[in-house]
Amino acid sequence: MAISRRQFISYSTLALSSLTLPLEGFARRPVSFERLMDFKPYGNVTLVFTSDLHGHLKPLYFAEPMNLLAPEALRGTPGYLTGADFLKFYKIKPGSVDAYLGSCVSFIKLAQLYGMTGGAPQLSTVIKTTVRERGRDRCLLLDGGDTWATSGIALKTEGMAIVEWLNYMDYDYIVAHWDVTVGKEKFLDIVKNRLKAKMISYNITEEPFGELVFPPYDVVERGGVKIGIIGSSFPYTPLANPRKFTEGWSFGVKPEELQNHVRELREKHKVDLVVLLSHDGLPLDIALIKMVKGIDIVISGHTHDITPVPVRVGETLIVSPGSHGKFVGVMDLDVRKGKLQGYRFKLIPVLSEVVPEDKKAKELVKRWYAPYEKEFNTVVGKARTLLYKRDTLYSTWDRLIGEALADQLHGVDAVFGLDVATSPGYRWGTTVLPGQDITVEHVYDVLGITYPEVFVMKRKGRDLLALWEDVADNVFNPNPLYQQGGDMSRIYGVEYELKVNAKQGERIRNVRIKGKPLELDKEYTVAVYGGPPPPGVEPLKKNIRDIVIEYIKKKKDIEVERKPNVKVLDHPYNTDCYWR
Amino acid sequence: MDRRRFLLASAVAVAGLAVLPAIKPAYATPALEKLEKELQQRLGVQLGQIKEVADIKLTAPTIAESGANVPITVESTIPIEKVEQLWVFVDKNPTPWITDVKFTPMNGQVYFSTRIKMGETSNVRAILKLKDGSYVMATKEVKVTAGGCG
Repeated sequence: MAISRRQFISYSTLALSSLTLPLEGFARRPVSFERLMDFKPYGNVTLVFTSDLHGHLKPLYFAEPMNLLAPEALRGTPGYLTGADFLKFYKIKPGSVDAYLGSCVSFIKLAQLYGMTGGAPQLSTVIKTTVRERGRDRCLLLDGGDTWATSGIALKTEGMAIVEWLNYMDYDYIVAHWDVTVGKEKFLDIVKNRLKAKMISYNITEEPFGELVFPPYDVVERGGVKIGIIGSSFPYTPLANPRKFTEGWSFGVKPEELQNHVRELREKHKVDLVVLLSHDGLPLDIALIKMVKGIDIVISGHTHDITPVPVRVGETLIVSPGSHGKFVGVMDLDVRKGKLQGYRFKLIPVLSEVVPEDKKAKELVKRWYAPYEKEFNTVVGKARTLLYKRDTLYSTWDRLIGEALADQLHGVDAVFGLDVATSPGYRWGTTVLPGQDITVEHVYDVLGITYPEVFVMKRKGRDLLALWEDVADNVFNPNPLYQQGGDMSRIYGVEYELKVNAKQGERIRNVRIKGKPLELDKEYTVAVYGGPPPPGVEPLKKNIRDIVIEYIKKKKDIEVERKPNVKVLDHPYNTDCYWR
Repeated sequence: MDRRRFLLASAVAVAGLAVLPAIKPAYATPALEKLEKELQQRLGVQLGQIKEVADIKLTAPTIAESGANVPITVESTIPIEKVEQLWVFVDKNPTPWITDVKFTPMNGQVYFSTRIKMGETSNVRAILKLKDGSYVMATKEVKVTAGGCG
């Protein structure tokens, strides 16, 4: 490890000269592993947690969004903070490690300076060190879901590579969302037979009578403290992903039932502390906790938010540890006399080049990767533009995918030329820096879904508009209870104006398809993927990954339009944060 | 099988409803016109004459997992002796009337659970007619969506 750290330091010294940011503090004191881990144990119980790993066992770049557009009532609140606003809100110094991991500001420069983030061997070291300093009997290890799906290695091993790592780490509890997309049978096999951690969920029930599928909560002792831990899986899994993965199960947000579980834990089980492990997303959890009393801590996954300090709602502390293995959350708690007396909280940044690798975890990753290394490492092209995925409305990855679909379908038959290609606003993916090789694994990391089929169909202008309005309401409804989570669908071939705060059905304006105003009764040719399959439409022979890989290979140098196809009328919309 | 489950099971069998294809834009329906007509016809009152009260509890998802199958439950702490009848309406369904249920003191309490079909995002209304001739109501908006992204 000493070698790679030295490499890192010399590397960073070189890169420093090209930075325009005030980085003197960093230059004088390069980041060390010890400094990243600098967090003195406190209290008698510790929650150690990760969320939304999205199947990543190896380090990667992952850029935080330039925009998280919010309806007026929620603007500027945690869950909708990006870039310079994020830094200001949490008083983070521009150019620091925390700034690099938590905001979009100067991402390209800082990525070159600090390198990749995450990786199972690095996460293992951080988790093991934290646990060793405190003692295993005082620590509760939690993961907030979106764990063993949506990456190349997750897909190839049906999640098992990540499951084995979770077992190696000795995680205690987990909840789910994308994890079900390995298939319902496989999912049940994992949580019942393969995974050491316990799957808990108060909001997954059998239809139609509502029997619980998993235990809603568990009672566990750590450091002499009796903890009640409740699980909440993603409430809209049946809508966000094809229904077949959750056939016969119902999900949902159920404040009253949650309150009953809290009461039961407090009164019947006499617990000292109540923790909610949730995949609801930060805005929804904030709204939910306004209705449910008696929960001490919420570990909130799904929206990939980073909360350098907890969000306080009444007596409850809500924390969200980001995504893609960028952080390990550590919350030291002082619980005495049946009550939370105090806490210390830190999101430990996982800089892959600084954190020493755990040997056994590295071997585990190597073993699972071995059969696929050759395919994954195949270079298909070179990025000339930053390829990023996350944003409320637009991304260069999605633009590239749209181009690939258009190219594919024009090539087949000019008459069947494509008008519109939609790409789902998933929050996960990977980031490729300008000048970096694009590999097959990168494509998997953006399109690693178990239902990669592409469907081409005819749709009337009015139906398209209604559908986009519907998605817009799921993203921009002022009440988080009516938001479904996720970002806006990316619509290639279309330009439009968006009024975030307009009523449902009136947000999307001046739609132009291929440069001409949308006609309500005209039929358009539309390509879609990554959602519930449209009934009665046969998929194309090639799936979305094949199409994108083929296109990148053909073009080789991948330069992508940075300018979004959406004009936002009533909200600032940043388009240069990464490049500053 | 306890009483609640029995009620629910029987209600599932009873409530047969109109079908409508998936998503329709919210602005395409003239607001409340159809509902008012139905209320006039079935209850003989206007929406404005029905008081929204806290002692009726209408439980329904904020976002339906499927418009074809939306679970709803109506409960009330109003003594059963004072209650005559329950109606359920969905404002924007092609036929807003869903069902009506007569209560007798033998029911013990106001509790009704069923599954309904909804063509689009709409208010769901549970209206009780009391023995004194007055009408009271609980309303909840249920969103019907084509789904979206993870």
